[in-house]
Amino acid sequence: MAAVIPAQPPGWRLPHIALAAALVAFLLWCADGVNLRPAEVAGALPVIGEYFARMWPPKWEFSEVLWKPAAETLYIALWGNVIALFIGLPLGLCAARNVVRSAALRNAAMAVLNLLRSISELIWAVFFVAAVGLGPFPGALALGVNFGGILGRLYAEALENIDPGPVEALAATGASRLQIIAYAMLPQALPQFVTYNLYWFEVGVRSATVLGMVGAGGIGFELVTTIRLFEWRETGVVLLLILAMVTVIDLASTYIRGRIYGA
Amino acid sequence: MVLELEAVSKTYPGGVQALREVSFGVPQGQFLVILGPSGAGKSTLMRCVNRLVEPTAGSVVFEGQRITGRGNLRAIRRQFGMVFQQFNLVKRLSVLTNVMTGRLGYRSVWRSLVYSFPEEDKRIAVECLARVNMEHKAFQRADTLSGGEQQRVAIARALAQHPKVILADEPVASLDPKIARQVLTYLRQVAKELGITVLCNLHQVDYAREFAERVVGMSKGAVVFDGPAAELTEDILHRIYYREEKAA
Repeated sequence: MAAVIPAQPPGWRLPHIALAAALVAFLLWCADGVNLRPAEVAGALPVIGEYFARMWPPKWEFSEVLWKPAAETLYIALWGNVIALFIGLPLGLCAARNVVRSAALRNAAMAVLNLLRSISELIWAVFFVAAVGLGPFPGALALGVNFGGILGRLYAEALENIDPGPVEALAATGASRLQIIAYAMLPQALPQFVTYNLYWFEVGVRSATVLGMVGAGGIGFELVTTIRLFEWRETGVVLLLILAMVTVIDLASTYIRGRIYGA
Repeated sequence: MVLELEAVSKTYPGGVQALREVSFGVPQGQFLVILGPSGAGKSTLMRCVNRLVEPTAGSVVFEGQRITGRGNLRAIRRQFGMVFQQFNLVKRLSVLTNVMTGRLGYRSVWRSLVYSFPEEDKRIAVECLARVNMEHKAFQRADTLSGGEQQRVAIARALAQHPKVILADEPVASLDPKIARQVLTYLRQVAKELGITVLCNLHQVDYAREFAERVVGMSKGAVVFDGPAAELTEDILHRIYYREEKAA
């Protein structure tokens, strides 16, 4: 019998080219919508450079005032993550297909997660400042609620991707649904949960620097104040401190995540 | 008869007929091998016994009680220990905890949710590990073990249930021949010692001849042979494995 050469998978065909052309056309159309003017960016660069030049030399004495709000930013990110865990874990469990059989409950959990997620933490912060007053607490609440929506969805996906074998094995022993979740599902998804929380702690530190702008505590408040007062050399110090904080936390969390998967 | 299957049929949604009126009885303490090619319905048959799958027709009678579609699911399932092709241990938990999960069917939900087991369960787990000579690895994580060791731990988990019957679904299909014989020897030995009935799915004829007291041959969802391993002639094997061509 003669060997049959399998047909080559099709390469670039007319529909692909048409699709690519349509995509480029769409991008160009949107460019008009955002008023994209590349020429002006070139002109604006020196202006931006000038701002940064004014920040030099940074007024280092100012850092003495900054330690407290900087620490506050970390507290906000930390407690934002803790709140996000308490919001995201139950909702994530309810939203995972292999945990909850009832489609109605799953969809309800998903709807709540979508709502929490689709409203940005800055908007939540505005609400919470109005509700509980100025300071770091509304900041932590805002991060917790928004990140709870994000983490809940990530938890649900991590749970749906676990190996179903041990789940079946525990069902076969006569374990109840909750026992199966505790002994077969959570242990498998736990490393994922930890890495997600570490990553969103990093993101939280960056976000918390902005929350101060709407009065939700932290270093962002100092940042906005110095900019409004045209105290550029102080602004420089704030920016450098944020850069240092974010870098250190990135490195630490990358190291910890590496250890979790490496070991 | 500890277990009786009465015209058990299963048609999956989508129309696949996995079992066609399967009937046979299993006496207490027998080592029964269910032999057949992949897709013969062996896995579905086992899952109809412990109700991981509900049959579409027929019933399973266990110790004189009809258990299909009625009765306390947890109470039924803990009578049947199950062993899987892929071992299905929770890899990130210790060997001991894995074996203790075999006790969950007896324990209250609330205590087990704080990851606490009674002393008695620990004692049972260690004893079951000792039966498969794995007690020296009790505190290792399950994913540090070799395949054969994982399957022995999985057998210990099934034993920890104090089951009347062990359902072994292709327990050695992922193991090399030497380890496979070792695992089947452990399975046969502990079942004999404890008087546990074993239903063991296999697709390798050699192991069936070596270990089975009795063989049920399945093909395309139906029983095509039922008798001692010695009666597995070429003609019968042909009927089990190549029924399609014969029917044509």
